[in-house]
Amino acid sequence: MRTYVLRRILQILPLLLGISALTFLLLQLAPGDFLNQFAENPAISPEMLDSMRRRFGLDQPWWVQYGMYLKNVLFHFDFGESFSRHQPVFVVLREGLANTLMLAGAAAVVTWGLAIPLGVWAAVRQYSWIDKGLSLVAFVWLSVPEILSGLLLLMLAARTGWFPVGGMRSIDYEDLDWIGKTIDILRHRALPAFVVGLIPLASRMRQMRGNLLDVLRLDYVTTARSKGLDEHVVVFKHALRNALNPMITLFGYTLGALLSGSFIAEIIFSWPGLGRLTLDALLTQDQYLVMGAILMASVMLILGNLIADLLLAAADPRITYD
Amino acid sequence: MRLARTVHLATLLLLAAGCGKNGKTASGYRDTIPLPADTMITRMASVGSYGGRFVIGETTGPKTFNAMIANETSSTDVTNRMFAALTNFDNITQQDTPAIAKSWEISPDGMTGTFHLRHGARFSDGHPISADDILFSFSVALDSIVHPSVQDLLIQNGKKWQISAPDSYTIVIHTPQPSALLVSIAGSVPVMPKHVLEAPFKSGSFQAMYSVSTAPDSIVTSGPWRVKEQVAGEKTVLSRNPYWFGVDAAGHRLPYLDELVYLIVPDQDALDLKFRSGELDGLDNPKPENYRFYADNQQKMNFTLHDLGPRMSTNFFWFNLNKVRKQVPGKKVGQIYVAPEKYAWFNNATFRKAVSMAIDRQSMIPSIFFGDAVKNWSQMTAGNKVWFDSTLVHYDYDPDQAKKLLASLGWKDKNGDGFLEDAQGHTIGFSLKTNSDNKIRVGMGNFIKDDLAKVGIKVTLVPLDFNTLITTLRETFDYDAMLLGLESATPPDPGMGGNVWRSSGRTHYWNETQPKPETPQEARIDHLMDVISSSNDMATRKAAWHEIANTVNEQCWIEWLPTIVLKLPVSNRFGNVEPSVIPHRLIWNIDRVYVKHPA
Repeated sequence: MRTYVLRRILQILPLLLGISALTFLLLQLAPGDFLNQFAENPAISPEMLDSMRRRFGLDQPWWVQYGMYLKNVLFHFDFGESFSRHQPVFVVLREGLANTLMLAGAAAVVTWGLAIPLGVWAAVRQYSWIDKGLSLVAFVWLSVPEILSGLLLLMLAARTGWFPVGGMRSIDYEDLDWIGKTIDILRHRALPAFVVGLIPLASRMRQMRGNLLDVLRLDYVTTARSKGLDEHVVVFKHALRNALNPMITLFGYTLGALLSGSFIAEIIFSWPGLGRLTLDALLTQDQYLVMGAILMASVMLILGNLIADLLLAAADPRITYD
Repeated sequence: MRLARTVHLATLLLLAAGCGKNGKTASGYRDTIPLPADTMITRMASVGSYGGRFVIGETTGPKTFNAMIANETSSTDVTNRMFAALTNFDNITQQDTPAIAKSWEISPDGMTGTFHLRHGARFSDGHPISADDILFSFSVALDSIVHPSVQDLLIQNGKKWQISAPDSYTIVIHTPQPSALLVSIAGSVPVMPKHVLEAPFKSGSFQAMYSVSTAPDSIVTSGPWRVKEQVAGEKTVLSRNPYWFGVDAAGHRLPYLDELVYLIVPDQDALDLKFRSGELDGLDNPKPENYRFYADNQQKMNFTLHDLGPRMSTNFFWFNLNKVRKQVPGKKVGQIYVAPEKYAWFNNATFRKAVSMAIDRQSMIPSIFFGDAVKNWSQMTAGNKVWFDSTLVHYDYDPDQAKKLLASLGWKDKNGDGFLEDAQGHTIGFSLKTNSDNKIRVGMGNFIKDDLAKVGIKVTLVPLDFNTLITTLRETFDYDAMLLGLESATPPDPGMGGNVWRSSGRTHYWNETQPKPETPQEARIDHLMDVISSSNDMATRKAAWHEIANTVNEQCWIEWLPTIVLKLPVSNRFGNVEPSVIPHRLIWNIDRVYVKHPA
């Protein structure tokens, strides 16, 4: 097991190298560079643009820039500076990372907290109006674009005053006691977590339902039932445990998508996460910030997959590595 | 289903408990620091009282608190409140006003400015502001490594401004050429604390100073405000500089407000909803499609929609008359970029005039601008109270005249396809490029296409990604005509527009960086620009500007399009609110804004 984990971790390095080279190349192929946004600003002269271009190293060909970048990363663990903020890339990204994880975590709670019980419910009442009703609602939500559901919920918040209109904290957050702070954060997090969390609900719920139905048709379930066991015991003790296996794998994979899953909702709900940061960096070609964000997301994805595999092995004694 | 609803309701109830509008007005602020010897009495409508805060929304947060290197409005909106300069600019009167300099004289030749500094002015840490700090700030501004954008204004014809301090309360500026904008430009150099920043400047780390992650308490400011709190991606909170030298008519130190909050709201629609729910006190850049809603709900929601007139940003398109200036593979210096037959049309003033007369600007206004735009014929729009000129020559919609002009060029529709052909049989037409993310520009492009088709000119509209468009504009010159806009500089004075109007300018879009003026009209404009940037007589400068704008319009080098009207909604809870079309529109005078009835 240990060698397996080690091997998987070692595989990350060439993968990241490939990802970074591809990202850098694509950034270079995109027209223009970071300084384009200043080109039409009458306050900024061509001389100033040239001086900035030299300072940022953008006057060099891309392979020289990439070589310098790799050298700094490998020998000094220096991932470069954001052009727009004059700050190291990971100082900038760190601010958004925690907030994004906070929102994505809440969204995951919404998704899984609803998907598993509702999926079980739908399976147990297969083809009943409950089963059909749940599918209908889940699929409707899946089909409504995030941007629309987000704005609709924001309008609800603005009309009713039940929820704040976006943001992560009130302006007066610092003056609140701990109960007030907890409520404040929950109130701000509720709507975006709902918007993000309900999107994958349909597929997760259907998966849970399908898994459980498969298991309920197996022989050992029939045996258990024929032994005269209570239906509750049959479903929850015998069938559900086995039906959860594929869900664990899925859960591991969603870890990888945590960083990117909430970008649109972050922008609509003024959530200070990585979404806006990465989008701005990409649009303005703040290249080392883009590189940092993509590398970080890649690491999350790779680690998420690894965790998924390990969780599976832990949950199912039939699976071993090495 | 029932389960889901129960969960939802429970969440609602729990969360609703924490509701309620944020109100933080009672201040109790008492100014205990003695006023300086030379206070600055600030122009305002009425004397206010201390307390409260103003919350404004921004789509992105500041990138730096270092006023010297701040380049975009999200940063300068904040840093301009934090750092004062020798002089200030009053957005309403469009005059330079005293700031750290209490008075100044300009020599008759317009090349020497003597500034008398205020006695007793202090930074936010209590350290006195003296001539040393001014000299330090100018030396940073002129540094070739830091290269702030203001530097280019301090260099004329390759020669730097000379700044000296005969004593600690006098600054003398010598300019290499007469400069009409000496005072305004001197007022664009933020005064930064030498006692804090000299060491980092000498060690080469000036640019990293006063970043957004600097501890707020350690940022020493010279303006009315200092940083109280900075939370990246969420908000920036400024609080008063307790040493600020500005006072009201009753001698109370400004600013009145306890806090100025910039709330980061990346989405424009969310900004609007936040204003409607009362979480924001004003909007700086509302969408024109919402003007109607604001106008209808002023009483009900207790705010005023301030109609500020046309914006200072213009819309126009032009034809590509550019020539190769630097040797590139496959092109010779002096070669034209567009096809020769197109160059012949574009270079013909009659053609350009016919195009201008074929465009129905009036019909664009209701559909593209929701009725909130005006026809505009100059970079100095009607929003510019000092420089607007209503008597300029212009060629507005007259399709019959446009057809006559085109016929006078000998062009006819020979093959019956509805479009004209020239003598060699080329169909008269051009491609019009603009940036695809700007709905208004794309909309105008579509109108132009339809209008010109009616007089027999075939237009192909090509919306492009912004960066691609800029590369086309600056490097490849691969376009027939381009639709863009220009934002006026601050101060909005034609003297700041040298790059646009001079034939040598890089933003002289239709034929940029000419080694020497190619037409007699452009030679004349170059001369008039010299007058505008050197004369100190306003009547002379205005006459020169009138002639420039008229020449450009007679030649139709620029095909003007309508300019949008700016309307800003601001809560009625505040006094002394005086928004203006000049940046920073809503908060330029926030040091004198106060809460009318603190609850």
